[in-house]
Amino acid sequence: MGENVMLNEEIVLKRISDAYNFAKNVQEELNAMVTFVDYNDQLENMNMHKSGKMFGVPIVLKDNVNTKGIKTTASSKMLENYVPIYDATIVTKLKDAGAIIIGKSSMDELAMGGTNLTAATGSVKNPYDTNRMSGGSSGGSASLVGKGVVSMAIGSDTGDSIRKPAAFCGCVGLKPTYGRISRYGIIPYSSSLDHVGCFTSNVKDAAIALEVLAGRDDLDMTSSYEPVDNYSEFLSGDIKGKKIAILKNVTDNISNVDVLKCFNESIEKLKQQGAIVEEVILNEKLMLAILPTYYLIANCEATANHANLNGICYGNQVESQTSEQIMIKSRTNGFGPLIRKRFVIGSYGLFVENQEKLFKQAQKVRRLIVEEYDKVLKDFDFVCAPASASIAPLLDDKHLDQLSDEYLVAENHMIISNFTGYPSISVPMGFVDKMPVGINFTAHKFDEGNLLNLAYTHELCNDFKAMKAGN
Amino acid sequence: MAYKVVIGIEIHCELKTKTKMFSSAPLSFAQTPNSCVNEVDLAHPGTLPCVNKNAIKYAIMACSAFNLEIDTLVKFDRKNYFYTDLPKGYQITQQFHPIGRNGFIDINVDGNSKRINIERLHMEEDTAKQFHFNDETLIDYNRAGTPLVEIVSDPDMTSGVEAVAYISKIQEILLYLGVSDVKMEQGSMRCDINISLMKQDAEKLGTKVEIKNLNSLSNVLKAVEFEISRQSDMLDNAELIVQETRRFDETTKSTVSMRKKEGNVDYKYFPEPNIFPIRLPLDWVNEIVNNLPELPDARRVRYHDVYALEEYDANVLVSNKLLADFYELVMQDCDDGKICANWIISELIAQLSKTNQSIATMKCDSKNFANLINMITKKEISGKQAKQIFAQVVDGENCIELVKSSGMKQISDEGAILQIVIDVLNDNPQSIEDFKNGKDRAIGFLVGQVMKRSKGQANPSMANQLVSAQIKNY
Amino acid sequence: MSLNKEYINVLAKDLMFELSEDEVNDIIDEFDVLSQQLELLQSIDTSGVLEMIYPFEEETTFLREDEVVNVISQKDAISNAFKVKSGHILVPKVVK
Repeated sequence: MGENVMLNEEIVLKRISDAYNFAKNVQEELNAMVTFVDYNDQLENMNMHKSGKMFGVPIVLKDNVNTKGIKTTASSKMLENYVPIYDATIVTKLKDAGAIIIGKSSMDELAMGGTNLTAATGSVKNPYDTNRMSGGSSGGSASLVGKGVVSMAIGSDTGDSIRKPAAFCGCVGLKPTYGRISRYGIIPYSSSLDHVGCFTSNVKDAAIALEVLAGRDDLDMTSSYEPVDNYSEFLSGDIKGKKIAILKNVTDNISNVDVLKCFNESIEKLKQQGAIVEEVILNEKLMLAILPTYYLIANCEATANHANLNGICYGNQVESQTSEQIMIKSRTNGFGPLIRKRFVIGSYGLFVENQEKLFKQAQKVRRLIVEEYDKVLKDFDFVCAPASASIAPLLDDKHLDQLSDEYLVAENHMIISNFTGYPSISVPMGFVDKMPVGINFTAHKFDEGNLLNLAYTHELCNDFKAMKAGN
Repeated sequence: MAYKVVIGIEIHCELKTKTKMFSSAPLSFAQTPNSCVNEVDLAHPGTLPCVNKNAIKYAIMACSAFNLEIDTLVKFDRKNYFYTDLPKGYQITQQFHPIGRNGFIDINVDGNSKRINIERLHMEEDTAKQFHFNDETLIDYNRAGTPLVEIVSDPDMTSGVEAVAYISKIQEILLYLGVSDVKMEQGSMRCDINISLMKQDAEKLGTKVEIKNLNSLSNVLKAVEFEISRQSDMLDNAELIVQETRRFDETTKSTVSMRKKEGNVDYKYFPEPNIFPIRLPLDWVNEIVNNLPELPDARRVRYHDVYALEEYDANVLVSNKLLADFYELVMQDCDDGKICANWIISELIAQLSKTNQSIATMKCDSKNFANLINMITKKEISGKQAKQIFAQVVDGENCIELVKSSGMKQISDEGAILQIVIDVLNDNPQSIEDFKNGKDRAIGFLVGQVMKRSKGQANPSMANQLVSAQIKNY
Repeated sequence: MSLNKEYINVLAKDLMFELSEDEVNDIIDEFDVLSQQLELLQSIDTSGVLEMIYPFEEETTFLREDEVVNVISQKDAISNAFKVKSGHILVPKVVK
């Protein structure tokens, strides 16, 4: 990306058709795509965008990004035949920058999961080991970028749904600040936690993609007026004197020594580059509450966000004698069991008799967690931790202890950036058992420029290609 | 037994903005179905709401006119329920922070003023329109997302007459503000009436019954009166009144039960996460509040002060805004407010209803009408003559031309009339003799002759005066 | 806190869907873990703390100008509907 001046049309066309064919070839292996997009229409006006920052770059969109005239399912049976009548704001931006959409990628149903096992089209496989998960909910995009099919794919991140699969699939996963990228046209999960972001194979591409995607959109009242930086220009490789806080709550709760070893090596290299690194501890009780807080806020908001899916105006309708029965049968049939279970919890949390002690309590604890985090970040430029306590789990992994501190804290700490809205990025830091593992950095709000430079510096001193070759 | 009647009213009004509350699609009334919508109104996946500036402005205007305290931090909430006319599965409303609180209006019943407190005014959005047939329902989303204000009164009213006075006052004010059509028949204004009865000395309010489906003021009156007598009868017979929603049935002129309230529905309200709190700039709010259009009460006072109208005339004009606006236009070219008002109130209204027209559709412009009134006040034509051509004037014919072509211009030039009077007197010595002999009728005959000789154009009262004066010279 | 079958079905009905017997049992089984997680949440003292509804709490002033910008065709409006009739979306008779 970004080297468009040298490209002639022939090279561009070949690059696009290569990517498309590559995607088709790995479909059986990865099951990462929901819909392959006939890109020929897009090629017609291609020369109009010759000066675009992503001219001729083949890309993939998570299947919750609305594309006019192109089926958009959010990997739910409910929307298996839904053809949007409008484009998401970012689709327009990407097309204007010259990018070519070659497909819509698989995701956890309605983005409500972290495994990508719940997609209507079946589980997505990890490009490094097809017996393992891609992670979710943006699993298809992560898998395709990790495999090298495309250099950029769009994802959405409600509770680490970009950054976790990026770590599992060995790619860069960026979730910028809340409001940095318009959410208009993105099928939501939870409005106050949803972020749009991207997967790329390197940090430079992430910077270019963000330049294209970011900016105020009047159709999204929560989008920001903050000026969009020239993020590429921040990539100096100089982090001298920058202060990085390591979340000790996370590292203390990771039992996999190889993951910790990779992490410590990464940190050492950053220190060698002149970064000042210190360990910090956040209130442990609050850290243990991250997941339930998230679970309640996300699912309560989701029950309302998905109340539009009733089979009346669009979406899958199950015929019935009465309109009420149409809604009930369509929703029963259209949503997978996991979604309906999460809806039950959301409904439970919102009922008047529970709202104070559940939904509102979660919103209050969210504030306490954010305040605790701000206290730490105040003295630092960045916060850092391993993106996951382990490598990508096996597809049939059922051994997860959902009450362990390792799970509750080390495996879910990245959700904090969904609470705060701060920019956060995961980048590969090495391999464990031949599987990629990632490191996560978070910065102050709207400080994507410096965040990307930190990730870039990390990338410079960790030759991922070499690691991959030696793997 | 007579009971204490307690009435509270909730009024929903569609705002007359160009676009929807949360989308930039146009508002519509009776357009092609599903043609005034976009993806937001249809609640397509991924859509987000975007608040209409004018809807907020209109709500502020209404708040100000109803003396409500305006909350300049605007927030919205979701009201969750499933229904086929509600595309999102929730309605965006202002449950927790209404834009207006604690206001009032004064109503007038039988010459007495009474203050009705208004608890709140909040903004929300309308649902889709459904057409029910025997075994199917058709849905038109054109109405979906139309901006609404809901105005909730305190339970301060005690009779059907007061309820009607309250609603029509709200209606009149919103109409003068120009923020809503307030047409009850067309549903751009909808009233829900809560009514309960209690013993005179009781401290606890009686069980509340809600009446819906009231599409005119006269039905409001009938429904409330029916409900008072129904509930009174029940209480007299020691029957239990159940909390329920009833609708007014036009054919039987009675209220019938729609549904019993099975406890309160849990709408699971929570703050709308897609709309950050909006801080309204204080100078913008002040500018709106300070530039409100003239309200009806102020106009009544002005009609009295400026045009010297009696209370009755001022009321008739002001309560029909189009009529009042026409009156004011005419008065730009007219001096006599009283005569002008008389002609509008008695003649124009009658003529319009006779020909099935309205102020809005009639062809006569204010200048033409003013010319007619001026000719009357300047005695250029008589009232009788004016009535002869009135229908044509209302139909848009130029009244000056009409007067000219029908040769009916009244002679009010004293010298000209005097010449005719002298001629007539000279020609009728017998009549002069009769007058001198005490036959007053002779005057009438002579005036008749003057009118005849002037082809009916002499100003009759001037002719009369001059004959009476001149005859004494003989 | 407890979730019995009856209550679970009330919650599902409120969101307009049904659950199979197995799904209800799953929820009850999983609720044990969930309720322990919720206890972690509830053990936190939040007295005097306000709910955090948005990631950023700066107020905005943006309001959309009241101009028609985006209106779609009737064809598009009903293109995804299951049944249509004379430009409307058609459903079985809705009971008021």
